[in-house]
Amino acid sequence: MRQHTIVLGVIGSDCHAVGNKILERYFANAGFNVINLGVMVSQQEFIDAAIETNANAILISSLYGQGELDCEGLRGRCIEAGLENIVLYVGGNLVIGKKDFSAIERKFQRMGYDRIFKPDADLEQVTLLLRQDIDSLQSVQENRI
Amino acid sequence: MVVVSEKIDMTEFQKERKEVLETWSTGSMIDLAEGIEFQKNLSESKRFSLVMKNAQENGLLLLQPRAGVALVDEHIKLLSRLENYCDLLPTTIDAYTRQNRYQDAQRGIERSVKSGQSMLNGFPAVNHGLEACRRVVQAVHKPLEVRHGTPDARLLAEITLAGGFTAFEGGGISYNIPYAKKVPLETSIRHWQYVDRLVGFYQEERITINREPFGPLSGTLIPPFISHAVAILEGLLALEQGVVSLTLGYGQLGNLIQDVAAIRSLRELADEYFQRFGYTNYELTTVLHQWMGGFPEKETQAYSVIAWGGAVAALSGATKVIIKTPHEASGIPTCEANIQGLEATRQITNMLKDQYLPDSRELSIETEIIKQEVRAVLDSVFDLGQGNIAAGAVRAFQAGVIDVPFSPSIYNKGKMLSIRDNVGAIRVLEKAEVPLPESVYKYHADKIQQRACAEGRQPCFQMVVDDIYAISKGRLVGRPR
Repeated sequence: MRQHTIVLGVIGSDCHAVGNKILERYFANAGFNVINLGVMVSQQEFIDAAIETNANAILISSLYGQGELDCEGLRGRCIEAGLENIVLYVGGNLVIGKKDFSAIERKFQRMGYDRIFKPDADLEQVTLLLRQDIDSLQSVQENRI
Repeated sequence: MVVVSEKIDMTEFQKERKEVLETWSTGSMIDLAEGIEFQKNLSESKRFSLVMKNAQENGLLLLQPRAGVALVDEHIKLLSRLENYCDLLPTTIDAYTRQNRYQDAQRGIERSVKSGQSMLNGFPAVNHGLEACRRVVQAVHKPLEVRHGTPDARLLAEITLAGGFTAFEGGGISYNIPYAKKVPLETSIRHWQYVDRLVGFYQEERITINREPFGPLSGTLIPPFISHAVAILEGLLALEQGVVSLTLGYGQLGNLIQDVAAIRSLRELADEYFQRFGYTNYELTTVLHQWMGGFPEKETQAYSVIAWGGAVAALSGATKVIIKTPHEASGIPTCEANIQGLEATRQITNMLKDQYLPDSRELSIETEIIKQEVRAVLDSVFDLGQGNIAAGAVRAFQAGVIDVPFSPSIYNKGKMLSIRDNVGAIRVLEKAEVPLPESVYKYHADKIQQRACAEGRQPCFQMVVDDIYAISKGRLVGRPR
């Protein structure tokens, strides 16, 4: 199994550092090449890091409620930057207030995110899905070639 | 940048002030003399320092929520409802303003108008400006504090203090290390010396503004001595600039004895150090923050965490408690959830009004341990500073003498590792460069060993992770699954 590269970070002006440090350790232990950008990461920094490292996925965290403002437009910017087949995950407390999760999920799916997670997501499950999603996108890419 | 520890000269201050006020358009409205006049005309019931002082003298515990939304009218509605349930009002500032990203805050305001709901996690006071702040202050009947997390809060302080807010949270360390990634400590300390000097200037005009260093830091397994050392340093830095009213903070950890010992030792140590540095004219109070880490998602369980925080605040003799809400696991609460948190807290603090935790051997040992730890760290800071407290603090972080677990800042070593013991108190697993006395370090090691034996596993990073998630999963100590 080849090693997948993932870019990890907390988007916007969000400085919640704890979960980010734990995710870094978890995905590294699970065998991923983790590029962790830490907290307060802009969309451009995510894109630049993904291009530089030839990453398979960008995993975005947002815990402070302003995720909606920070996350919109990223899919389009990825495509413009040539990252057409990158997996985009987002998780945390993504909007202001306690809202119905399925509504949040739809909102972020429309924004182009492949999967949306709650803050208490089961990381084993996330890892499984991440491998599947990366592999299926790669096979699409290889078929095209 | 070389940071000095002395009262900022007024000519230098005025020069810097001119530049600060130019950083966003609303700054041009600020006239210090006019701001002082506005503050003088506020009723005593809105004077934060006075309400705190009276509460302390009468042994009362005051309740304060966190709250802030994007738009002025909505913010006024929110506070007007909350003030029926709390003693002190907040205005929580949004995260863009905290990073001085006023353009982004503007976009947040516009989007909030369009969508009919707040898209920001707080009140963008700089963008709204002076008159809006005054509308808020005049619409409510209780003291208002600015609560945020801003490494450079100079403009925010200018606008909100001239706007009639009577308390201002934060400090050069506590609003950098947990809230920023690459702001040098000497920069944030200098910017907070400016804020304190501004507060000192109001004080010279006999207007007391309460200052509150942010106690809980990263809110993640912080041993009391670390947050105490920071709180006392920020207290000294504030006193140096002429601040008089100080409320030192601490975030509840979960073990009753350790939490009560923490609040007691915080008061006693602060008095000790303030007086050692020659300060006698200050008003000192303490605040306990209900549990600042991850919360259970189920609201019934969250109420339990909230009530326990209220109980500890009451039993420890703190003057103020900052409350959490049953929505904590989901982020920003609604007004209703905030009221529920306040009501749950009020019930328990009223019930415990006339009770206190009697002295015991365990309580005095814990109190003494914290004092030894804080003295060891602060002595080292003062040695490093050679008479310059600010420089000592900067060097202490460089050397890892003060080390905050789980901080996002590159100016924090992040080598010290802490963990719960078998009764849930926070202990130091690896001290790294923190100058803990050997006997104290051994005390920590013995306590951790008791847990390791009980769980049949060696202390490790997984144990730390288990502790971080324990409360959100319905327990205090992160036992193996």
